[in-house]
Amino acid sequence: MSLLKPFSKLPTLNTASILLVESEEQFQQSLADALLEETAVTMNVRLAKSLPLPKENEESRPRIDLVVFIINLTSELSFQSAEASLKHLDSGYFLGKVCFLVINARNASVPIERLDAVRRLAASLHCPLLFAEDQTPDGVTNAAERLLTILKVAAGRVPMATALYLSNLTRCTVPPDIDQPSFD
Amino acid sequence: MAAKLNASESLDCSDSSSSNDQSVSNRSSNRVAEKERRKNEAEDPFVLALKYFSDVEAGTPHQGNDDFENNLALVEKVAYSRGLPPEAISIMLEFAMSLRMGTSPVVRVLKCLIPASVVPQDAIVRAVVWLGISKITAGTQVLFIKWVLTIFDMIDAKDQLRAVYGFIFSFVTDENLCPFICHLLYLLTRKESVRVFRVRKLLDLQSKLGRQPFLLHLLSLYKVFCPELVTLSIPSRMRSGFRNHNSPWKSTLIIVQKRNGSQLASIVNPAVTLKDKTSSRKRKHWHLEIPALSSAVNKGAQTEPSRRKVVPLVQIQSFAQLLENMHRVELPAQMGSLLGSSLALQYLDCVQDESALLRLNFWLGYALHEEFLFCSDGGASQNSEEALQLLDKLLSAHHFLQEGFSSSEAFLYKFLNVWDGSLLRPQILGLLSNIPVVPSSQIGQLLFEPLMQLFFTSSPFFKCGLMESLNNMLRKWLTWHSVYALEDDLDISLNSHTSINMTLSGFKDSVMELVHFVGRLATIGLQLEGCHSLLFNFILDFYETVCDMFLKYGLPLIVMPPTGVFYPALFATDPVSVDRLAYIMYRYKVNLTSAKSQEKLTEQAFHISRQTFREFNNYLVFMVNCLWNSKMIHLGTDIQLGEELLLKSNVPQYWASFDLIHHPAFMNYAVDFHRRCWPGRKDMDINSIKHSKPWGWYLEYLFTQGYDGLKLFIQSNISRQLPAGDGQGDKLSTDER
Repeated sequence: MSLLKPFSKLPTLNTASILLVESEEQFQQSLADALLEETAVTMNVRLAKSLPLPKENEESRPRIDLVVFIINLTSELSFQSAEASLKHLDSGYFLGKVCFLVINARNASVPIERLDAVRRLAASLHCPLLFAEDQTPDGVTNAAERLLTILKVAAGRVPMATALYLSNLTRCTVPPDIDQPSFD
Repeated sequence: MAAKLNASESLDCSDSSSSNDQSVSNRSSNRVAEKERRKNEAEDPFVLALKYFSDVEAGTPHQGNDDFENNLALVEKVAYSRGLPPEAISIMLEFAMSLRMGTSPVVRVLKCLIPASVVPQDAIVRAVVWLGISKITAGTQVLFIKWVLTIFDMIDAKDQLRAVYGFIFSFVTDENLCPFICHLLYLLTRKESVRVFRVRKLLDLQSKLGRQPFLLHLLSLYKVFCPELVTLSIPSRMRSGFRNHNSPWKSTLIIVQKRNGSQLASIVNPAVTLKDKTSSRKRKHWHLEIPALSSAVNKGAQTEPSRRKVVPLVQIQSFAQLLENMHRVELPAQMGSLLGSSLALQYLDCVQDESALLRLNFWLGYALHEEFLFCSDGGASQNSEEALQLLDKLLSAHHFLQEGFSSSEAFLYKFLNVWDGSLLRPQILGLLSNIPVVPSSQIGQLLFEPLMQLFFTSSPFFKCGLMESLNNMLRKWLTWHSVYALEDDLDISLNSHTSINMTLSGFKDSVMELVHFVGRLATIGLQLEGCHSLLFNFILDFYETVCDMFLKYGLPLIVMPPTGVFYPALFATDPVSVDRLAYIMYRYKVNLTSAKSQEKLTEQAFHISRQTFREFNNYLVFMVNCLWNSKMIHLGTDIQLGEELLLKSNVPQYWASFDLIHHPAFMNYAVDFHRRCWPGRKDMDINSIKHSKPWGWYLEYLFTQGYDGLKLFIQSNISRQLPAGDGQGDKLSTDER
């Protein structure tokens, strides 16, 4: 039961490492493939079902620059698992090195409360909350592109910008108020 | 039998892709087959089953009744596989609602009432009558109304239903039925239906049940028809009251329509020659397709004595006809069809009565929400042709009317919160730029927060797209202002149809918010993207709109660009950015001077703050000093760099590195000019251009390269004494204060 820490290892030159956490392991793989298309940096994509990560690989594991929690809104389990995994992250990660990626947000079978719960969770941790379309190739590419935008900053590849700076701009805010016009 | 039919359909489907002629002949051969099938129908078990249900005696027990069981199973099978024909619907509905076999089979029958094509309205009217007299349980009553709402657009005519409006209205007092009856009434209401006693009844109910959204919606429609009868104030933004209640049927309905669709599609749209794969996918969104314009008044209704003669919109062919019949146009049953017809849009634009717009908005809000926010398949087929077509039609309607619909606005606010930034990007950004002015108190939450997240996490191309869309949005707002601003310059009505009025100061606040927001996006975006030159172009586009707000659109507001945009533009490595910045500064100057002279002339209260003038002067002085005088003077506020630090950098003559010769954007022009000017010279000394004569030539040379912005900027801000002086002593023209 060890915490994953953002600064316990030295960074490697021209390398960016990302950890994708998804309990259902559906979207992970295609997203990882899309992420590996990036050629400007050496990409390290690590997949996990949940945190904590196993002890065995600890030596060989690179320094993780960004942790992404993929939450499938159609399953309650996916949300609970992400919530449980959060406890195994060092607080240093929450300074801009964690983000949530939500899939299936527009599905009819999603209870509206679950989206609100995810939003509240992301807002309380000051993390960005991205939405992705996992069913179309364009959607996957786009999700990978957006993660790379954040990852590059988190890995220190963008001059004059830090992860904390970016996450201040993109962090999720409290759920929008219910008086908004809606059609449900 | 169902399987056989399916096979022939899929055959038809694949053939129609290969060639049109062939599909026509194929269809005619299909028709022959149809006839043969009709002949066989006498022995058809399905027909026998229907006969059973129409003839069955009242009071026959259904438990342990094998005949009933088998026949119903057969009807269900047909219904779920290809839908029921109109006659079958009538028979089954009559059977169920009359409770001939008691209350238990009713739910089962209702659930399998999947229409293959249309639903005869007689059947509905009869069923509504049964609703009044037979003892159907409350739950089943609700189920029936839900069913009517689901298939509402498939009812072949509505006039008889409208004739029993009062009868339907009487169910409103039933607590269980009320929300659904309200929805049904909403769809049926016409001006004649609005009566004082009905309004009173609804208000009574409201005081009993509280401000229920379904009551509010119906009342708001009543208010639109007869504002003098409904004095209640209706909130301008309210939650939509009518929920989705098509769940028991929708998926089956879609599947059935999809299956029958390949045939239907070739009838509806014979010109379509799609590959068979797409045409089968097409049908999934059949419910979304914009319906063809058809009239709600069927031929039988024409003979019926009506108090006023109505002309269905579909019969109007020309604009002249429209003008003649403006006061008695009958709207089509499916409001969505208005989107596709330019005459209908013209009607919408001129007509005073808001009911058309309200109904269209309702349909649109519903369709958009169903399709993009509440997808049954999780959005797998989002890029389908229909979704695209719907949004494109919507955009062109916006374009035509030059204003957006409130329902598309409401949809967008929700959609932005779950958008991934790439799905249907051109369409969504197009809708975004059509958003009417948002009050400054809400703009942050509705627009800026979701947009900011998307902007900073997306690629530079998304950033450019969003910039362009925000620029268009600002331009539209300003155009609205210049068109709708009233003479006294105090009140503007934002939109010819909505009743939102905004004070001038409120409008200015919103514009200011928008400009500041874009300023923030631009500053940080440029920083994150390393001054991406494409992004720069879109940002400067935006400021070209901003700098001309006073002269071009008559809005007494001038906002300067933030330092994070000004300095990167001035020091940019591409000459285009510098040139455009020069043009923008020139326009700011023209706007500010004319604003000032107008202020003196009319002595009106309108007032541009000293701060704006100060900012402008700082920028101007810095720019002229930098480009022209080879001096890097920083007047305190903007750039603070220690002299020692600059000296330490060991750049020789650092103060001259951004003049028109040494500026990284213009250096190559200087070198080129030097070569042409002194072709013989071996050693290059571009400083020699600074002498008076070559300096003038050099400027001429730059201007001939198309740098008009620079030309305007220099001509308006710098007065040169031509023969004397070496360029160093030229003075700023004095409009600073």
